[in-house]
Amino acid sequence: MVGEDFVSMIPAAPSEIWFGEVNGQKKEVIAKSNSILLDVLRDKAGCLGVKRGCDMGTCGCCTVMIDGEPRLSCLTMAHDVSGCKITTVEGLSDGSHLAPIQQCFADYGGSQCGFCTPGFLVASQALLDKNPDPSEKEIACAIEGNLCRCTGYQQIIQSIQAAAAIHRGDAEAVASNNAAHSDPHPSGPEI
Amino acid sequence: MMLMPPFELHRPKSISDACDIAAKLLASGQEFDWIAGGTDLIPNYKWHINSKPHVISLAGIDGLSTISMTEIGCMARLHDIAESGEAHPLVAEAASKVASSLIRRNATLGGNLCLDTRCFWFNQTEEWRSSIDWCHKCDCGTGADCRVIPNQNELCVATYQGDVAPTLMVLDAHVHLIGPNGERKIPISEFYKLDGMTRNVLEPGEFMLRVTMPEDIENWIGAYRKLRIRDSWDFPEAGAAAAWLKGDRSTLRVATTALESIPRRHDDEVAESNGDVKAICDAIFRTTKPVNNTALPPRYRRNMIKVLVKRACEDPL
Amino acid sequence: MSKDYVQQAGMSKEVRVDGKRVAGKMRFNPPGSGGSRPKMAERDLEFIPELEGGNEAQPAGGHFQDSYRTGTTVGKRTPLVDANAKVTGQAWYGDDIRLPNELIGRIVRSPYHYAKVKSVDTSKAEELPGVIAVSTGVDAPSKFGVLPVTKDEHAMAVEKVRHVGDLVACVAAVDEETARQAVTLIEVEYDVLDAVHDPKKGLLDVDEPIHWRGPYHIGSTNVQKRVFQEFGDRESLENTTKAFHNGKWKFMGVNHGFTEPHAVVAHWDPNGRLQLYTPQQVPHYAHRALATVLEVPMHQINVIRTFVGGGFGGKSDPFPHEMCAAILARKAGRPVRITFDREEVFWVNRGRHPSHIEVKINANEDAKISGFEIDALIDGGGFASFGHVTSYYNGVLATAPYELGSFHYTGARVWTNKPASGAMRGHGAVNTRCAIEVGLDDIAEKLQVDPIDLRLANLLPPHSKTITGFRITSNGMRQALERVREGSNWTEKFRKLPLGKGIGIGCGFFISGSGLPIHWDPHNFPHATVHLQIDMDGGVTVHTGAADIGQGSSTAVAQVVAEVLALPLEMVHVRSHESDTSPVDLGSYSSRVTFMNANAAIGAALEIREKLLNAAGEMLDLEPKMLVLNDRRIYNKRDPTIGVSYLDALHKSQEDIGALIASGAYRTPPMGGIHKGAAAGLAPAYSFSAYVAEVEVDVDTGLIKCTNVWAAHDCGKALNPLAVEGQIIGSCHMGLGQVLSEQMVYGRTGHLQNPNFLEYKIPSVHEMPNVTPIIIESCDPEGPFGAKEAGEGPLLPILPAVVNAVYDAIGVRINDLPLTPDKVWAAISKKMKKLKIDDPRELPVPTLDYSELQEKLEERSDEHKLRDSRRQRMEDKGPYLNGVLFGLDPTLPPEEQDETWKISVKPDASQLENLGLAGTAWTKKEQRHMESGK
Repeated sequence: MVGEDFVSMIPAAPSEIWFGEVNGQKKEVIAKSNSILLDVLRDKAGCLGVKRGCDMGTCGCCTVMIDGEPRLSCLTMAHDVSGCKITTVEGLSDGSHLAPIQQCFADYGGSQCGFCTPGFLVASQALLDKNPDPSEKEIACAIEGNLCRCTGYQQIIQSIQAAAAIHRGDAEAVASNNAAHSDPHPSGPEI
Repeated sequence: MMLMPPFELHRPKSISDACDIAAKLLASGQEFDWIAGGTDLIPNYKWHINSKPHVISLAGIDGLSTISMTEIGCMARLHDIAESGEAHPLVAEAASKVASSLIRRNATLGGNLCLDTRCFWFNQTEEWRSSIDWCHKCDCGTGADCRVIPNQNELCVATYQGDVAPTLMVLDAHVHLIGPNGERKIPISEFYKLDGMTRNVLEPGEFMLRVTMPEDIENWIGAYRKLRIRDSWDFPEAGAAAAWLKGDRSTLRVATTALESIPRRHDDEVAESNGDVKAICDAIFRTTKPVNNTALPPRYRRNMIKVLVKRACEDPL
Repeated sequence: MSKDYVQQAGMSKEVRVDGKRVAGKMRFNPPGSGGSRPKMAERDLEFIPELEGGNEAQPAGGHFQDSYRTGTTVGKRTPLVDANAKVTGQAWYGDDIRLPNELIGRIVRSPYHYAKVKSVDTSKAEELPGVIAVSTGVDAPSKFGVLPVTKDEHAMAVEKVRHVGDLVACVAAVDEETARQAVTLIEVEYDVLDAVHDPKKGLLDVDEPIHWRGPYHIGSTNVQKRVFQEFGDRESLENTTKAFHNGKWKFMGVNHGFTEPHAVVAHWDPNGRLQLYTPQQVPHYAHRALATVLEVPMHQINVIRTFVGGGFGGKSDPFPHEMCAAILARKAGRPVRITFDREEVFWVNRGRHPSHIEVKINANEDAKISGFEIDALIDGGGFASFGHVTSYYNGVLATAPYELGSFHYTGARVWTNKPASGAMRGHGAVNTRCAIEVGLDDIAEKLQVDPIDLRLANLLPPHSKTITGFRITSNGMRQALERVREGSNWTEKFRKLPLGKGIGIGCGFFISGSGLPIHWDPHNFPHATVHLQIDMDGGVTVHTGAADIGQGSSTAVAQVVAEVLALPLEMVHVRSHESDTSPVDLGSYSSRVTFMNANAAIGAALEIREKLLNAAGEMLDLEPKMLVLNDRRIYNKRDPTIGVSYLDALHKSQEDIGALIASGAYRTPPMGGIHKGAAAGLAPAYSFSAYVAEVEVDVDTGLIKCTNVWAAHDCGKALNPLAVEGQIIGSCHMGLGQVLSEQMVYGRTGHLQNPNFLEYKIPSVHEMPNVTPIIIESCDPEGPFGAKEAGEGPLLPILPAVVNAVYDAIGVRINDLPLTPDKVWAAISKKMKKLKIDDPRELPVPTLDYSELQEKLEERSDEHKLRDSRRQRMEDKGPYLNGVLFGLDPTLPPEEQDETWKISVKPDASQLENLGLAGTAWTKKEQRHMESGK
């Protein structure tokens, strides 16, 4: 584009191709020049797990990883990150087996209404990828851009600490009560 | 969703490309904005505040993210300035206090220095602003009056709420600007221009390249104090930076932010106070007059500047 | 991602071509063949009550449902049953509903505070290519509102707009851009009226009240509701008062601040039925309102509750935008989705009422609370919403946990030209509670006694009645106070910390479900109904209308069903989203869901249990009462090897009938007095809480940091301690926001100055103190397995605890919430001026020099402790009513034993001259009592 005589006189956003590797899958969509990454992910790439809470960078619900780094997709121009690797909450799990961070959020009450959860999960996974042994202060700094109205953060911090222990290998991932693991028909008392 | 206004995003790959695009847009009479990290511009655009038909992104230009003791590129992210350990501790400290950790990963030094001024009559949606019949800073062609101080539409009194500028001021930094008419270097204290709309000396088509600091900067110590309700997200309601040459209090410099439309270095006040911190605080208190357009009332913010300056001067990092 | 992560137990190791593990491959064999956990687990005695032979301690006594406990899930830390959907991003919230061929709806909103709508011209918008439907107020003239007595809302303005942001018209277009452009093309002519912003002005007669209620309108004021309640003898107070407190408070309005903005999708299906997807806390009332406004029978509407991204009361009204989406979708013949921007969320509001509250407390020479007077003027904004109830709650929910000599309440709710206030977590009780708890702190200081002992010596016992006639059943207030005193090391800290550090106490009392349903109910419909269905596969499907808004109601229901039937939780599936398949449940408000819904679910499960036991008994030739249910097996309690599997018993009982189906329902017992307003505040049970908060105050800047909270809450029985703790900590966060930083600021021009999350300051992770949740289990006799609410009550005590701690830290009381640093600094400056000191570090801090009353109080509270524990365990079943502490006979109504003791719900002529701010609403006459109409 540069160098051509491109200046248009009417304010209109031209469409361009946006591409990216979203959760390990190559995506190519047509998006207007002025598109915001959040809108592209939700409306074009089908990542409805990325949530829109405030649209202004003040709630963190839309946090996604861009090349491994947690970023606010509502404050990112889509075309500025064209070609990047993007991980959303949908990309955290291994197949449909929960990642430790997801399992721990479920087990330790880190998620109540769940709307802020995708943002928290991405922000904390990014932290654990870099630092599997974060202090409470470091965890707080990593999630200071995420707003949760339900939990009061305390159980979120506990969830992250528990997931960190699994990442370090200090603890094993244990299926929680609500993971399907039993047969409905036992043969008798275990004696 | 908050819909972005229509504009074309230009993504130059080099500084000269950027200047070329700017020159072409200027020549054809087209208005445009620069975008760096986007954390200031995008919310304003989502609110349809003073949006332009063209936006030039600096994100694709390599080489603008240097971070060292004496030089910081305008595209260096606040997160990197705060975390890398390369920047002067005072600058790193201020950068680490900006907004939230997520916002700092997008936000850049250049963006923070060129931050648009803020005002609760102005930083609102289009519908909201239409319900107060607009304001002077974004009058949508109506010639609307200032809502903070009515019956004066000379000066915009929106508040500059950047954190990093006062620390660069007390470290005697220079900003390097480039535009269609070439490059220039000016002291950061002269970069800002007293009006909430003009804001700074950037000419049309000009943008900030980097900030440089004197060679002996390592020997300078100081502190930055920020007043805010929450330790995340919030802009400063008042901020004070102080720095001096280690072991030589006579070199003391003080600057403040978030009290007026520009950050300000208080050389006169320091000089007339002969190094007495309380006298400096009182002098700055006298010469600073915040207005009612941020979260906390101006009387409080003005009084707090005494506390912040005192703490910055007496308690270095 | 997650390279080092160990595969979960019992999961397949099979991998797909892309290297990821195969999902859903559990070794689930056909029923009856064994499987991955073929053996029955042992009975978990730790979770079986001690009175039933288990190890679970029951300090508060037994419960009539104890024998149905199987040790399966109740009392265990249980992750939410829908947690996996939430952590994988698969939970579908309002805006995640994307139907094929959808249109985007946008709303045209008023730019004026108050105006008559003269005309709406939609022609230009209709001509815009891409616009499919446009609608205005004429399309939906029927009024609605959550309370049948105060239906005052329209889908869109019919005659007037009542606040900036009020709905005027709406459009549906092919995309967001077109819809927004169409909004700008709708031309509305307004006739601007004089707006009212200050609630005090709402008490005055005006030319054009915001609503007109005909013969029932109070003068020509903007008073929507006024309340007067007097119990006991107030006249004799003057002679007996030893300490008196008078606190005048101002509370700013606060918003729920849920993270998910409102969103709705409406679609009229090919059969002409409306399918409406909405994140509603109270889908049933939305359902009723939709039927009214759209003029279709309720059975032609299917309300689908999506996942709710936080409610806190803010998603409990039927909303005009829900009507708009339905109207647009009907016109367009296509699905319509409307999603709010954050600012629109603030415009729809329904948050906590901005309030002016005055509290007067008298204590007599025995440090008994002889007089209790509350005057509350609350700012309702443009519509009634839940306000009728809020007007009562501000007074009546202050009548416990203390025994009162007399109680006097005047309340008024006024309309102003602001977004409507409504119900928010702790509905109506929060602000008054803060004022009275701070008042008690002041009384304790004036009497020079420990404020905790003052409280302990004045508590109502379990199984008693409040002064207004509310029936208190279980009551864990005393234990809560004792536990936080001990946990916080109170005695070592209170009035002993240095300047800038402080510690404070606050208590709370809240309803656990409201005694009456909102809707007018001549047929005694149950409040909650639950259907269970078990087919041949043995899985249990629970149909309930209870709205899970993140608090875990689906989990609680699944838990009690699993508990009764002794099945693993994953065999219980809750279906609660659609009104088509769910029996009516009144919704998630008034902290009613666990209490009512779980009780209904237990009822249904017991029906199934009986059938299973009968079938097993038949197969084993044993009396059903000889059988034990445990982990998918039913066996002889004397010999566990004699038994049948759950599935065999199930199949036996399904002979000839197929799937087992059962229904359970819950209704509140009859209760309460007969005076006007007696029903407001009635509940089948009440929760109690006590918090101690520790703060640090920067005396130079006035910034407050809350560092520690010990939070004891009596929830009867924690069905799921994980969720209860989550509610307690979350309540602390929300309450802390209100006390320290959150406020809806209406500026000079009456506009909401901060409708966004940058300026509406919800605490971040850094502001959060370290909270130690302490669960008190008082075992409620009527609660499901003893449980009561834990969702709202825990919010109450944090406000006064922090305010009292700030006083302890700096010796200044501030009666204006939130305690933003500027207010604290101004109060400090004022005090410094008064004391003529220059340095805030010289500020004196309050001291405590025990008076002779202290010992008396300790003695009294020791006596009461014995009394309470006997009453709690039902060892003493004698009647008790408020006033016994003052010498009344518990067997007779007070008004029959004391001439001066009276109940009145209307001021008499002499009282009219002596009323507080809100009380002045009583000086006006209703239109029907005036000489001539308006």
